[in-house]
Amino acid sequence: VKQDYLGLFHQVLDHEVVDANNIPCGMVDDLQLEGGPGGELRVTGLLIGPGVWSDRLPRLFCKLARLICGDDVKFVPWSEVLVITERVKLRSRAEDLGLDLAEKKASRLISRIPGA
Amino acid sequence: MKKSLEIFLGILTAMGGFVEIGELVFSTDAGAKFGYSLLWVVLFGTIGIIVFCEMAGRIAAVKEQPVFNLIRERAGFNAGLVTLLAANIVNLLTCSAEIGGVALIWQLLSGWPYRPLILLALLFFLVVTWVFSFQWIERVFGLLGLLMVIYMLTAVYLRPDWSQVAAGFIPQVPQVTSPKDYLVFAYFAVALTSSIMLPYETYFYASGVIEDGWNPADITLNRIIVLIGFPLGSLLAVALVIIGATVFMPRHIEPQLPGAAALATSLVFGKIGVLIALGGMFFAFAGAAIETCLSSAYNLSQFFGWPWGKFRPPGTAARFNLSWIVVFLLSAIIIVTGIDPVSVVEYSIVFSVVILPFTYFPVVLIGGDEDVMGHFANGWLAKTLGWIYVVVVTLAALAAIPLMIVTHGGKG
Repeated sequence: VKQDYLGLFHQVLDHEVVDANNIPCGMVDDLQLEGGPGGELRVTGLLIGPGVWSDRLPRLFCKLARLICGDDVKFVPWSEVLVITERVKLRSRAEDLGLDLAEKKASRLISRIPGA
Repeated sequence: MKKSLEIFLGILTAMGGFVEIGELVFSTDAGAKFGYSLLWVVLFGTIGIIVFCEMAGRIAAVKEQPVFNLIRERAGFNAGLVTLLAANIVNLLTCSAEIGGVALIWQLLSGWPYRPLILLALLFFLVVTWVFSFQWIERVFGLLGLLMVIYMLTAVYLRPDWSQVAAGFIPQVPQVTSPKDYLVFAYFAVALTSSIMLPYETYFYASGVIEDGWNPADITLNRIIVLIGFPLGSLLAVALVIIGATVFMPRHIEPQLPGAAALATSLVFGKIGVLIALGGMFFAFAGAAIETCLSSAYNLSQFFGWPWGKFRPPGTAARFNLSWIVVFLLSAIIIVTGIDPVSVVEYSIVFSVVILPFTYFPVVLIGGDEDVMGHFANGWLAKTLGWIYVVVVTLAALAAIPLMIVTHGGKG
């Protein structure tokens, strides 16, 4: 990256999140900021999950998306972010941050198939 | 030695996997309706798919980023979600058509009823996709799809007027009897371009680069495969146009059934020709069914950041695996209702054009971004061709659905 600042919109939002073992564990669906006009603005964490991205849809589609995908929201503190390249790499493993729950649920179904 | 074998197999699988049911139907029908005058469209589409697959493959090799990662990153969530839904609906339709095509081939070979064969085909696809690794899927269906070369041999043995064939590669509009025929010609030009540049091919190709573990050292391999494999594959489409023009056009036959093209091989090679053609079609359609289905699962996983890939143990990419299983089930349900696979093909091809700009725009943006790609960024040729094609496919996307309505799906 050439510039000496971090463009939250272009370099963080809607980027893939990978855990300490480089396993994908979601996308940066939104960012949580702290502060207000005139004061210091700080990024406090990443927001991940259908409960977050559904809020970015028009109202009708938001309800539909929540009905289908649920409204789960996961908060990942900014201190967990290790490095930002094309993806956002975290310091911890997905399971330590509760980012693997949906995958685990699906895994229970898949494990019933012979050869899984 | 290992690298040479990889290049050789890569070229052959790219060639064998190039044609699917939509391309087979539209190429043969285009030849039957307009002779050789749409051959330039085959050339145009082939250059387009080379440009975008090379670019998407290069990005995937350098940045390990597949297409739907890029779409969400560059187009944003809402536009990306619309593209995802549209792409997966098109994939679903294409997969349904391919499953229907496989069942039709089995019906031609066995005489068994069509619908039970669809269910048998579903079972076949579920087992093969579950059991085979990515490389095996790619190679088995790609290499055995080379049986389609019988169409190239048929086209040569039919002794077309080669000067007329060569003239077909010059952009042209044929002399037609009524103004409406110009619209039908435009519809076929758009549909043929789309059938060659189907977006799933780019999604699948870029995901395959990551499945195969390519890195920046494989950029040359990527270039060789698309620059040699795709043009060889597109010769199959050229052969189908020639067959349409020499066999069906003089007899005023509209070869809209997939099996019609296979019958043309009997004129040259007899019964064995038909069997080889049907065998090639089976592997080509089956390969495309698996590719479209996996492509849907890749798209979903890449858009939502799920672990994905056949290279991972199934339990560690569970949502990815569930996705392709569900897509196969839905595709089979669509086609088992009795919908004509060829109608499904037409819809999938036309709707594919509509999403082409949304697919290729982010690819050209990232491919040309030196901040992201460094010295692997697009050169002047890739940049120029990339933007020309984005403009052209955008115009085609705007025209596709009106043309389909006005021409009643090319029937005039």
